[in-house]
Amino acid sequence: MENSELDSFIICKKCHTLHRKIKLHHGTKALCQRCNTLLYRHHQNFIDRLLALSLVEFIALIIAFSFTIIKININGIYRGLDFSSIFYTIFHNHYYIVGVILIFFIFIFPIVILLSLILALILMKLKKSKYLVKRLLILIAKVSHWSMIDIFLLSILVAMVKLFSYAQLEFNVAFIALILVILLDIFTLKRISFSDIWEEYENIYRKSNSKK
Amino acid sequence: MRIYTENQIVKNNLIRCPICEATNIDTGGEIVCRRCREKIHDYKSISFHKTVAFLITAIILYIPANLYPILVTKKFGIVHESTILGGIMHLWEAGSYPIALIILFASVFVPILKFIFIIYLLISTKFSLKSSKIDRHKLFYITEVIGSWSMVDVFVVAILSVLIHFSIVEIIPGNGATAFALMVFFTMLSAKSFDIRLIKEGY
Repeated sequence: MENSELDSFIICKKCHTLHRKIKLHHGTKALCQRCNTLLYRHHQNFIDRLLALSLVEFIALIIAFSFTIIKININGIYRGLDFSSIFYTIFHNHYYIVGVILIFFIFIFPIVILLSLILALILMKLKKSKYLVKRLLILIAKVSHWSMIDIFLLSILVAMVKLFSYAQLEFNVAFIALILVILLDIFTLKRISFSDIWEEYENIYRKSNSKK
Repeated sequence: MRIYTENQIVKNNLIRCPICEATNIDTGGEIVCRRCREKIHDYKSISFHKTVAFLITAIILYIPANLYPILVTKKFGIVHESTILGGIMHLWEAGSYPIALIILFASVFVPILKFIFIIYLLISTKFSLKSSKIDRHKLFYITEVIGSWSMVDVFVVAILSVLIHFSIVEIIPGNGATAFALMVFFTMLSAKSFDIRLIKEGY
């Protein structure tokens, strides 16, 4: 079977049913016939839009990492929660394994994913360094399962409910930034299937190769 | 508006690359994706044993995760330790039913469900069961998606230990937190190393 013939197929990620791809009209999407999972959709200005959203998400992530998320007030004594204090407390209590797992899952992986995505998209826009873009896209695909920043936001909400009855809670700027990160994440990596990015990658570099 | 692609009959010799989602021809052994040049799967027997090994590690870790305290509260010098189930019961008694249910779902049901799903998938590769392949593919997809949800409890403990740190009352993580975090890590590894070709053809 030729590569081009294989390219005309797509397999549903949920039920693994094989579909033949068709060309989509503007604003439409292709769904799996068996389980209604999104297969791919028609994008306009795909790279530009994704790049803009990921840049905003990156800025929001930096804000979320740098400032206080929530503050509690018990009888006039304040305590704030930020990312560095979480890692400090865990390591201070000698829970090194939990600390390392936390650092990777809620700090390093989200940053690595966003930085690689931004870099890959910029390079794709400039039509440069095919190999690096490929490595970055592979890295994103491998790491994306391990980023747990969304679970972390849920945990903050759970912790807040636990503290609600005996402390006053104050939301800070990082909390809003964190919500923004999760919302933008839904519009970027969660909404777009990886096959779309890879197809764009193939289109861009095939064109630039044929020009040479 | 929905547009369906022309449905094709499931061809058993085509496989989806988990990294770039390209369609590849399944040659039976080790496959390298034609687009991203990454290894799609090990030999089937290797991935089967990897999955079993990670799963057993996770199940073993689940025992101390539940027996050891996940949260230690020091109040006026009195140490009070609570396990996962103890914490849920405490929340239930205090009337925070939604939160108790979230923790119960994320920390107790999700890990057990994952164990059952992976064991079921492994057994179904050895013996031909009546369930359809499509259902098993969906089951595997659910196992992968819910994987990280169990970390909620570990994160909550970390957050509480930062916030409640006063001279009279202090919360610190317990040994159960380490076991629990590792358990989640190994179940995710176990799901990751499972070869979807085993669903198609069996072992």
